[in-house]
Amino acid sequence: MTARALDPQLQQPISPVLVPRPWGTWGIRFVAISYLAMMIVLPLTAIVKTAFQAGPVAFLHELASPIAWEALKLTLLVSTITCVINTVMGTLTAYVLVRFEFPGRRLLNALVDLPFAIPTLVTGIMLVVLYGPQGIASAWLEGLGIQVIFAKPGIVLALLLVTFPFVIRSVQPGLIEAEKDQEEAAFTLGASKWGTVYRIVLPTLLPAILTGRLLSFARAVGEFGSVIIVAGNIPGITLTAPVYVYGQIESDNQQGASAVSVILMTLSFTLMLTVDWMQQRKEEVRHAG
Amino acid sequence: MTVRGIVAIFILVITLGLSVGCGRSSNSEEVVLTLGAYTTPREVYSKVIIPAFQAHWKEKTGQHVRFQESYLGSGAQSRAIVGGFEADIAALSLEADIDRIARAGLITHDWKSRSRGGMVSTSIVVIAVRPGNPLKIQDWADLTRPGLNILTPDPKTSGGAMWNISAVYGAALRGFVAGVPERDHTAARDFLSKVFRNVTIMDKGARESITNFERGVGDVALTYENEVLVGQQSGQTYEYVIPQSTILIENPVALIDKHVDAHGVRPVAEAFLDFLWSKEAQQAYAQFGLRPVDPDVAEEVRDQYPPVMDLWKIEFLGGWERAVPDLFGPDGIYTQISEKRGMSQ
Repeated sequence: MTARALDPQLQQPISPVLVPRPWGTWGIRFVAISYLAMMIVLPLTAIVKTAFQAGPVAFLHELASPIAWEALKLTLLVSTITCVINTVMGTLTAYVLVRFEFPGRRLLNALVDLPFAIPTLVTGIMLVVLYGPQGIASAWLEGLGIQVIFAKPGIVLALLLVTFPFVIRSVQPGLIEAEKDQEEAAFTLGASKWGTVYRIVLPTLLPAILTGRLLSFARAVGEFGSVIIVAGNIPGITLTAPVYVYGQIESDNQQGASAVSVILMTLSFTLMLTVDWMQQRKEEVRHAG
Repeated sequence: MTVRGIVAIFILVITLGLSVGCGRSSNSEEVVLTLGAYTTPREVYSKVIIPAFQAHWKEKTGQHVRFQESYLGSGAQSRAIVGGFEADIAALSLEADIDRIARAGLITHDWKSRSRGGMVSTSIVVIAVRPGNPLKIQDWADLTRPGLNILTPDPKTSGGAMWNISAVYGAALRGFVAGVPERDHTAARDFLSKVFRNVTIMDKGARESITNFERGVGDVALTYENEVLVGQQSGQTYEYVIPQSTILIENPVALIDKHVDAHGVRPVAEAFLDFLWSKEAQQAYAQFGLRPVDPDVAEEVRDQYPPVMDLWKIEFLGGWERAVPDLFGPDGIYTQISEKRGMSQ
């Protein structure tokens, strides 16, 4: 709605020539909806179905396993930490990449998407080589008494890497669009540098930051390839939910695997809906005001 | 649709593509055999046994046998075959994985009625140590030493990893661990629990685990003799210790009736299976780190594969059909140990 309200062109009556034939729009809708149903709804239904195959009691029984429960808690913990770090550092990185000029900026900007192109398994191996016992950084870390690989910090590190682009790429377009004038105006009107950022920059970026962090959270919750390499996978200590799910599939417990997957999905889905709802409400409040 | 279904479709598409592309056994000069194997014996099959059998069959019948080889983790391979991968022959790491195929109705004969109960090669569970064995690890009992860093694959993700845990537990139960009386289940379980307190990394498969060990992770690794020997062949310098008491790992091979008959390749498939127990093939296994099942060949390679003081089979723990639930089931000993460990941290 905001876009339309702001854009004078969109407020003019649309010329009749541009009105597509009704079957055309229905056709498009049909294609898009069936595509969505086939690609997302169908597989998800299959997972839910296997999870509840033997009834809700069996479903709960699968979740009652302490190892499954610890794995879910761990996944929630590391995903939240990842999400928080991403939110702060991603926004900062995006801000620097858009607002500041420095040599190599374009190259850095292009590097941001690279984690998506690397198989996550390779990401994991890379981290082990770097921070593992014979790694380049290991002597230094050992001196500090920090164990990274095969411990929780390693999991967070892997998750940060695979979710790296989400916040940055969500925030960037907004930053580019947002007028630098506003910031300058606020600054000249006497606002401090941080005050400007806090009052002007952040509020406009908030929806984009929220979207980005949500995507990174959802991605982190499901990450498997890199985590299985760096985590050590000790049940109850460093075994994450997706790795637990893999173990269940490998030991022929399809139902246990699906049950935990359903919880992971529900978690992400609820979060997405909540944020969506919050954003919508805010929009309504703004319009009402 | 289940994961199995998705795998089935995936494999179906690939096999369709392959068969359209090659025109499966379209002329009598060539037959195609599909081998679904686990990853460990990849080299021995593709480098030695298959070429040798091809020559042997050509000489006998004039026919060329073309092999389609697939190598996956044993459990994954077994599931792929059940899911629709049309392998004629399955060569896997443990009996339970062949049984899964048999249960799906694809193997209709008694596969264990073949020579040596259907087993073509064996190995044992050993303790891999750093060059020169700096920590002086001698036997299972040393694994409980505080602060020791042990690697073993996860039994939940690697069927083969179940051998390791069974070996430790079984050896304790047989009275080969100091301080654990023979047949004392509680003491054996406590011992296993103490060993597991030192396990710091559980990789998803035996190969991944030993690769991590090669990267310098950990002090010792529970692994199979053949993994260490293959590692040493490729220039790795770590060594291994054979415990006084350990489990005999047996690797089964089976002909998959439904697929063999559908492809019309029974004679050549039978011949290939028989060939696996020939001196030539048995020597090839020995050359690639696996203990041969043929007694004569075993005698020949005695220096390389020293006898174990107390060598036992999974039957001691009631066979896999009992060992799997007893140790790894929802209330299994291993499951309870790892639950307790998770809670205490």
